[in-house]
Amino acid sequence: MKELLIHKWLDGELNDDELKAFKELPEYASYTKLSETAKLFKDTSYNVDLEYEKLNSILKNRKETKKPIQWIRPLLQIAAIFIIGLAVYYSPLYGDTATVKTLASNSTEVALPDNSTVKLNAASSIKYHKRNWKNNREVNLVGEAYFKVEKGSQFDVVTWSGKVSVLGTQFNVKQRVNYFEVTCYEGLVSVSFKGKEIKLPAGKTVKLIDGQLFEEQTKDTVPSWAKKNISSFKSVPYAQVIHEFERQYNTKIEVKNIDTTQLFTGSFTNKDKELALKSITLPLQLKYYTKNNTNVIVLTKE
Amino acid sequence: MLKPLNTHICDEHIFSKIFNTLSNDVYNFLRFKYGDGLDPRDKVQEAFIKLWDNCKKISPEKAKSFLFTTANNMMLNEYKHQKVVLKHQQAKPKDYTNESPEFLLEESEYMQKYERALAKLTEAQRVAFLLNRVEGKKHKEIAEMLGISRKGVEKRIYGALEKLRKEIDGI
Repeated sequence: MKELLIHKWLDGELNDDELKAFKELPEYASYTKLSETAKLFKDTSYNVDLEYEKLNSILKNRKETKKPIQWIRPLLQIAAIFIIGLAVYYSPLYGDTATVKTLASNSTEVALPDNSTVKLNAASSIKYHKRNWKNNREVNLVGEAYFKVEKGSQFDVVTWSGKVSVLGTQFNVKQRVNYFEVTCYEGLVSVSFKGKEIKLPAGKTVKLIDGQLFEEQTKDTVPSWAKKNISSFKSVPYAQVIHEFERQYNTKIEVKNIDTTQLFTGSFTNKDKELALKSITLPLQLKYYTKNNTNVIVLTKE
Repeated sequence: MLKPLNTHICDEHIFSKIFNTLSNDVYNFLRFKYGDGLDPRDKVQEAFIKLWDNCKKISPEKAKSFLFTTANNMMLNEYKHQKVVLKHQQAKPKDYTNESPEFLLEESEYMQKYERALAKLTEAQRVAFLLNRVEGKKHKEIAEMLGISRKGVEKRIYGALEKLRKEIDGI
């Protein structure tokens, strides 16, 4: 009962009778003194209007400084998207791709990440992905190269003229303008071009000359250019022989009154220019001379 | 009192109305809870700035509890172990000068005891008691402010009153 009275008193809900009863409590004086003293702790210094003005000036100052940032943010976001996009777009080309090139009259040997080797003939280039090489053994070739492929996943050589696929073997790929030649020295090679696919066993060569397909045998175990530094040809248009000579000796050859479509079988060394010239001119009874003060060799009929 | 409105607090009129009705309460709530030692004015300002920043997310009905919670958290973060000291005004107005020195001494002793006793109350008790006695808030209002039941408020105030009596009157 007493507690209820006090609750009501504290909440200001006493009616007249209850107030009378409350005043008769022995603690009445003590309670009222405690209550009255509490009122002295009132803080009248808090000025709502003044505080609101302060708050307003804070908010206004902040708004002014904040606005330019709100402009910059979306711009930064757009810029970030572009940068990330560019990075994603270019990263496989930059970080990942390896390119090896040889100049005319040079040749070089390249070891691929899995110890497969590529011997590049003069004026050729290969491109391949270093990363993830194990699962994606693909080499882009321009020119001529001799491959020794370690066993593993499918190994592809991609050229403009066609694609050569193998699992583990040794083969030579020669890609020229209007000329594509693949020779298999070990294992089995699959050659695909223009929607056709040819299985090429060891000791066989396929040639694609101006869209025409030829198949031949070879007794070599290594291409002659790779082993003996000799360029050899078997029933190849004479023009291809001239181009090969140009590549190997970094010269220019002009022909006069010569049918360059006639087939040539033979070889020339890649080490001795004079000897090589003789090798490709004597069998056809041609003459040659060097143009004055130039690097140009002229071939003529006798 | 604040009526539920379907408008945003972002409206400056509504925001200023909220400030006018609630800032003093928030201020006193912080005072009673943490004392005058560190001026709670700044925290009231910060709480309202935060309310303004979130004005789109908070409905006017929720503003009250948001302000009390935010202001309280801000104080908590900064003044964790601050001793609670509440300032009081001069005990009596001037026209009581005819009182005897003994009486005045007694009065100042009483005030000192009172201050100490207030500091000894639990935070919950002190806040509820002072909001009720000093600010004249009804139990229901206090319950709303603190987010507790009316019964809880009654208990806290009564508990505070009895504890003060024990400390000061030595019963």
